[in-house]
Amino acid sequence: MEQVRILLADDHNILRDGMRLLLERQPGFTVVGEAADGRETIELAAEHAPDVVVMDIAMPNLNGIEATRRIVDKHPGIGVVILSMHYDESYVLRSLKAGARGYLLKDALKAELIAAIRAVAEGRSFFSPKISRVLQEDYVEALGRKGGDDTYELLTDREREILQLIAEGKTNKEVASALNVSLYTVDTHRTHILQKLNLHSVPELILYAVRKGIIS
Amino acid sequence: MRQRPGLILVLGFGGLLLLMAVAEIASLLLLNTLRQSDAQLQARFLVRNRTLEQIRSNIYLSGTYVRDSLLAPEPSGAKAQLASVEGLRRDTEAAIDSYARSIDSQEAAPFRALRAEIDAYWKVLDRTFAWSAEERNKYRYAFLYQELMPRRTTMLQIADRIEALNEESLKRGDERLGAVFERLQLGLVAMITITLLGGAALAGLTIFHILRLEGEARRRLEESVQAQASLQELSAKLVRAQEEERRRVSRELHDEVGQAFSAVLMESENLLDLEPAREVRPHLEAIRGLAEKGMNEIRNMALLLRPSMLDDFGLVPALDWQARETAKRTGMRVEVSSEVADELPEEHKTCIYRVVQEALNNCARHAQATTVQVAVQSQTGQILLSVQDDGSGFDQARIRGLGLLGMEERVRHLGGTFEIDSRPGRGTLLQVKLPLAAWNGDRRNGTSPHPAG
Repeated sequence: MEQVRILLADDHNILRDGMRLLLERQPGFTVVGEAADGRETIELAAEHAPDVVVMDIAMPNLNGIEATRRIVDKHPGIGVVILSMHYDESYVLRSLKAGARGYLLKDALKAELIAAIRAVAEGRSFFSPKISRVLQEDYVEALGRKGGDDTYELLTDREREILQLIAEGKTNKEVASALNVSLYTVDTHRTHILQKLNLHSVPELILYAVRKGIIS
Repeated sequence: MRQRPGLILVLGFGGLLLLMAVAEIASLLLLNTLRQSDAQLQARFLVRNRTLEQIRSNIYLSGTYVRDSLLAPEPSGAKAQLASVEGLRRDTEAAIDSYARSIDSQEAAPFRALRAEIDAYWKVLDRTFAWSAEERNKYRYAFLYQELMPRRTTMLQIADRIEALNEESLKRGDERLGAVFERLQLGLVAMITITLLGGAALAGLTIFHILRLEGEARRRLEESVQAQASLQELSAKLVRAQEEERRRVSRELHDEVGQAFSAVLMESENLLDLEPAREVRPHLEAIRGLAEKGMNEIRNMALLLRPSMLDDFGLVPALDWQARETAKRTGMRVEVSSEVADELPEEHKTCIYRVVQEALNNCARHAQATTVQVAVQSQTGQILLSVQDDGSGFDQARIRGLGLLGMEERVRHLGGTFEIDSRPGRGTLLQVKLPLAAWNGDRRNGTSPHPAG
C-alpha cells in the first residue's frame, strides 16, 4: 500500500507528539513533518509536498484557515483536514472556502481522524459525525422554524447524484467520467444546482450537503 | 450665610418702599394743610377787609346823615336822619365786635384807638340829638367843620391803617405758607435723594449677589458636567476593560485549557492503542470521556464569555451564531439581516454584538416573543441597528431594567443614540445609531487576525 504522507500543524507540542504517535502506529501513514505556526506550515508543505495536512485553526503567525488557503492555492493536490475545537458553521464554511476538504473536532476519536485522513488523501470530503449532526440539526430546525419549502425537493435525481459527487470532493472531470457524461453537462448541472439551492460556491454546496446529511 | 442675602434684600426693599410710602403720605398731608391754610388766610383777609370797609362806610354815612339832619330845615326830617344814624351805629358796633374777635397783636393798638374814636364820635353825635332848633342853628356849622369832619377824617385814617395792617397780616401769612412750602420742597428733595441712593445701593447689592449666585451656579454646573464626563469616561474604560478581559479569558480557555484537554484525549487514545490490561481500559475510557466533556464545557464557556467568531470573522458571523444559539435554546425564530460592508472598528463591533445579545435575552426571558428580527446596516458615516420582536412589550415609563441601561451606556460611549419603542402588547422595537467617522482608525488595534482553534 502506498504511504499517506502527513504534515501536522499545531502550536501545541504535546498535541502534535500525541498525534504523531497515534498516526505512525497506523500502517500506511507517515508523518513527514510538524509545524508550530501558519508560516512554517506553508514552508513545510512546499518542502515535503505531503498528501494531507492536519491543521489547527488557532496558530500564531497566520492562522490555519489562511494557511490552508495559501497551500491549496499553490498545491491543489494537497488535502487539508482542519482539526479544531469550533463546531460553529462559520468556521466550517470558512475552512471549506479556504480549500479544506475535511473538518474534524478535536474531541474526535482515533477512528475518525484516520478515516478523515484516508478520505482526504483519496480526494474525498470528510466531516466529524458530530459536526454533521450539529449542522444537520441546525438546518432541520431552521427549516422547521421558517416553515419554507425544502429547496432539495426542487432538484432532479440526476442533479442530486451530481450534488453528492461534488460534495464528496470529486472534480467536474471525475464526476463526468463516473456518470459517463460530458464535462459540459456536469458544468450545466452544477450551475442549475447552485441556482435552485440559492448557493454561490462549491464550499457552500458541501456545507449544504453536510447539513442535509447527503455526505458526512 | 445662605439666608442672609435674601433677608437683606427683603429688609432693604421693604424699608425703601416703606420710606417712599411714608414720605409721599406726609407730603400729601402737608400739601393739603397748606392749601387749607392758604384758603383760610385769604378768607380771613377778605372778611376783615369787608368788615373794615363796612365800618368806614358806616362812619362816612353817619357823618353825612348827621350833616343832613343838622342842615335839615324841618325837625321831622332831622328825626328821620337821626334814626338812620342810630341804625348805622348798631351796625358799626356789631362790625367792630366781629373784627375784634380776629384781631392781630399789631392791630391791637390802632384798633383800640379806632374804638375809642368811634365811641367818642357817637358820644359827640349824641350831643347833637339833644339840641334844640336854636342850638342847632347856632352851632351846626361850627360842629360840622370843627368837630364832625376832623373826627371822621381821623377815624377813616385809623381804619386805613388797620386795613394796611390787615394786608400786612395777609402778606405775613403768605410768607409763612411760602416758608412751609419751601420746607416741604426741601423735604421732598431729600426724600427723593435718599430713595434714589437707597435704591441704587440696593440694586448694586442685588446685582452683586445675583452675579455671585450665578457664578456659583455656573461653577457647580461645570463641576457636575466634568464629574459626569469623568464618570462616563470611567465607565467606558470599565466596559472596555471588561470586554478585553473577557476576550483574553475566552481565548485562554479555548486555546490553552481546551488544547490541554485535547492532548489528554489524544494521549488516552494512544494508551488505548497499546492494548492495555483489561482492568486499565475502563479507566482510560473514563479519562477520555472526562477530557471530552471538559473540552465541551470549556468551549461553551469561552463562547459565552465572548464568541471567537467576533474576533476571528467579524460582527455578522457572530450575530448569526448568536441568533442560532438563541433559537436553539429558546425556540424563538431569530432572523439576522446585515448590510455591513467593511469590517467595523473593534468597539462598534463589540457594542452592537452586546446590544443584540442583551436584546435577544430580553426577548426570550421577558417578552415571550416568537419572532425577532435583527437588522444591521452601515450607512454613510454611521451604523444602524434595529431589533424588532413580536413579544408582549412593556411600559417604558415603569420599566427601566432589562439591561437597557447597560446597552444605552455602551451606545452612548460611542456617541450613538439608543431608542426603545415599546408598549404593552405591541412588541418592542430597539433602534441604535452609531456614528462611525470619529472612531474610524484609532481604535481598531484591539483585534488580531488570529482565529481561535
